[in-house]
Amino acid sequence: MLLKDTIINLCGLAAPSGFEERAFARIKELVLPYVDELRTDAMGNLIAVKLCGRDGAKKLMFDAHMDEIGMIITGYEKGFLRFSNLGGIDPRMLPAREIKILTDPPIFGVIDMMPPHALTEEEMDKSIDAKKLFIDVGLSETEAIKRVPLGTAAVFAGGVEELSLGTLCGKSLDDRACAAIIIQVMERLSKKEPKVDICCLFSTQEELGTRGAVTGAYGVNPDYAVAVDVTFASTPDTKKGETMELRQGAAIGVGPNMNRKITNTLIDIAKEYKIPYQLEVMGGNTGTDGWVIQISREGVSTGLVSLPIRYMHSPVETLDLSDAEAVVNLLTEFAMKLGEDADNA
Amino acid sequence: MLDLLKTLCYLSGASGNEDEVRDYILERVLPLSDGILTDSIGNLIVTKKGRVSGGKKVLICGHMDEVGIIITGIDDDGYLRFDFLGGVDRRVVIGKPIYIGKDRIRGVIGIKPYHLVGKDEEKKVPDREDMYIDIGVRSKNEAKELVSLGDAGVFDDSVLEFGEGFLKAKAIDDRVGCAAMIQLMEEELPCDCTFAFTAQEEVGTRGAQIVASRVKPDIAIILEGTTAADLPEVPEGKRICSLGGGIVIPFMDKGAIYSRKLYKTVTELADKNGMKWQTKTYISGGTDGRVIQRGGNGAETIAISAPIRNIHSPASLAKISDFEDMPRLALLLLEAIADNQ
Repeated sequence: MLLKDTIINLCGLAAPSGFEERAFARIKELVLPYVDELRTDAMGNLIAVKLCGRDGAKKLMFDAHMDEIGMIITGYEKGFLRFSNLGGIDPRMLPAREIKILTDPPIFGVIDMMPPHALTEEEMDKSIDAKKLFIDVGLSETEAIKRVPLGTAAVFAGGVEELSLGTLCGKSLDDRACAAIIIQVMERLSKKEPKVDICCLFSTQEELGTRGAVTGAYGVNPDYAVAVDVTFASTPDTKKGETMELRQGAAIGVGPNMNRKITNTLIDIAKEYKIPYQLEVMGGNTGTDGWVIQISREGVSTGLVSLPIRYMHSPVETLDLSDAEAVVNLLTEFAMKLGEDADNA
Repeated sequence: MLDLLKTLCYLSGASGNEDEVRDYILERVLPLSDGILTDSIGNLIVTKKGRVSGGKKVLICGHMDEVGIIITGIDDDGYLRFDFLGGVDRRVVIGKPIYIGKDRIRGVIGIKPYHLVGKDEEKKVPDREDMYIDIGVRSKNEAKELVSLGDAGVFDDSVLEFGEGFLKAKAIDDRVGCAAMIQLMEEELPCDCTFAFTAQEEVGTRGAQIVASRVKPDIAIILEGTTAADLPEVPEGKRICSLGGGIVIPFMDKGAIYSRKLYKTVTELADKNGMKWQTKTYISGGTDGRVIQRGGNGAETIAISAPIRNIHSPASLAKISDFEDMPRLALLLLEAIADNQ
């Protein structure tokens, strides 16, 4: 499957933090042909392993999280649904927002806007407190209670579409675009002979604070890991220096969260294979699964490769396929390179 | 009427750019009409004869245009700048797609990642001047090949039925009025009627102004969509009207005090014929009625409206049972008018 199609396919699924089953099932199906083992754990992570068949082979782990930001239903107000966030959502994104509520089958809802006449002059300039917003499912209270049990999850409606040639736009590129990238890497590696075992950790609940990766990394117990996540691409409303650029290639993380040798290897590979890259320097927490993977068990040599996207955590996240291709190339060559090191050891 | 409304909501017709809507309506009403014209501003004015001619001149009016955006600038890196066409609360466009121009070029109004938003910043809505549309291009030149200054844009056009008889779409205001008018034209009318599908209502009832001068009606019936604020956080006194409450027959809004006589007639007809109706319990909004009532020598004016939540947003909501009787109620009113002549 083409990378573009895999991204569109995976991002069309509804799988907010703690409710990743739909993404789990599809990713499992897609990665299955390229791996030797598949397993899960108590946190619902999906772990896929490709063995190289060498005795005492080192273990490299690629990580991307399956979950997306979403909402969870916490109560009713005359048929309107009260909700809480799953992950960080800008409240300014919510008015007149279309929502998919994950009942079986899913139902449609809209977060109603506060009409202007009900706001004071001062409030008109302000965002509406999410506590004042409700999901409208067009149901009476009795029906709403019957059809939407408390604890039901929800996501932004819609999927991913091409915005222009090579540019994809929609929900949950964070981080399913990177799950698609890892699947693509495994497909490439299936035609090669890497000299390390490669484990893919498709983790859960990253958006609630990298929770799945804690047990995932523990279970995999890798020697090396590369977390693959999205990062901020500049837009007119961001400041210089706080973002990467779209269409400038893979962002290689630099900083204390990343093992210096891994980082340098990634940079060397990018140079050697002329893979477009940019450096993303972070002084502390990278806000990715890499943060917990690095200090799993007795420690993991961890790297971070990020895909720049615009409008992160919105239903219109935007990526360029040239960047995604760069990440695929970089990770594939990195896996092969680690094999070489194994030979020398 | 539901299928017709769905089709009409799908069409693009931001104020001043009503062509697509007008072309569709024109084709649809041509076989039903006895006279048809498009005027300088783009109003579509259609006459249809009834059983009786020569009585009071009756005008039925609904607007074709919807709120939207207009492209005002292109940045060097290809982002588009815009202004609103009509009253759009800028809160509802953040993170939404926009379809621009005749070729429906897709763009999105983005906002920076929540991770980079400060605690105070998230409480403020970005000014419209700071918002931009991303159409996925790399440069001004690439953007110029797709979009020109002055192109209009509309919200996402997907139309959906959900819940217990609810409809979600853009532009229900006022395609619901247009749909009701078309349906009414399919009936045998008791008296001669002029139907005006107006332009530019959302930028200040501009089209209706000149309709009034041309048609010079004695009686005007405005078919509209109106704000319903029946939401948990809105105080009782500001809810205006509610979904499920039936047809809205206002006695007054911000633009007009409607004819007391017609108000009495319409509400009694609704009662007598078992139609659910409500009035507006908060004075807000306005219709083409504000200029038609006071155009020329003036006209006795009434509005028959559908309640709409999230009006002027990409996800406006209506309840089907609230609007499907609009054409029937208008027809009953025409009968009463004809009987009185």
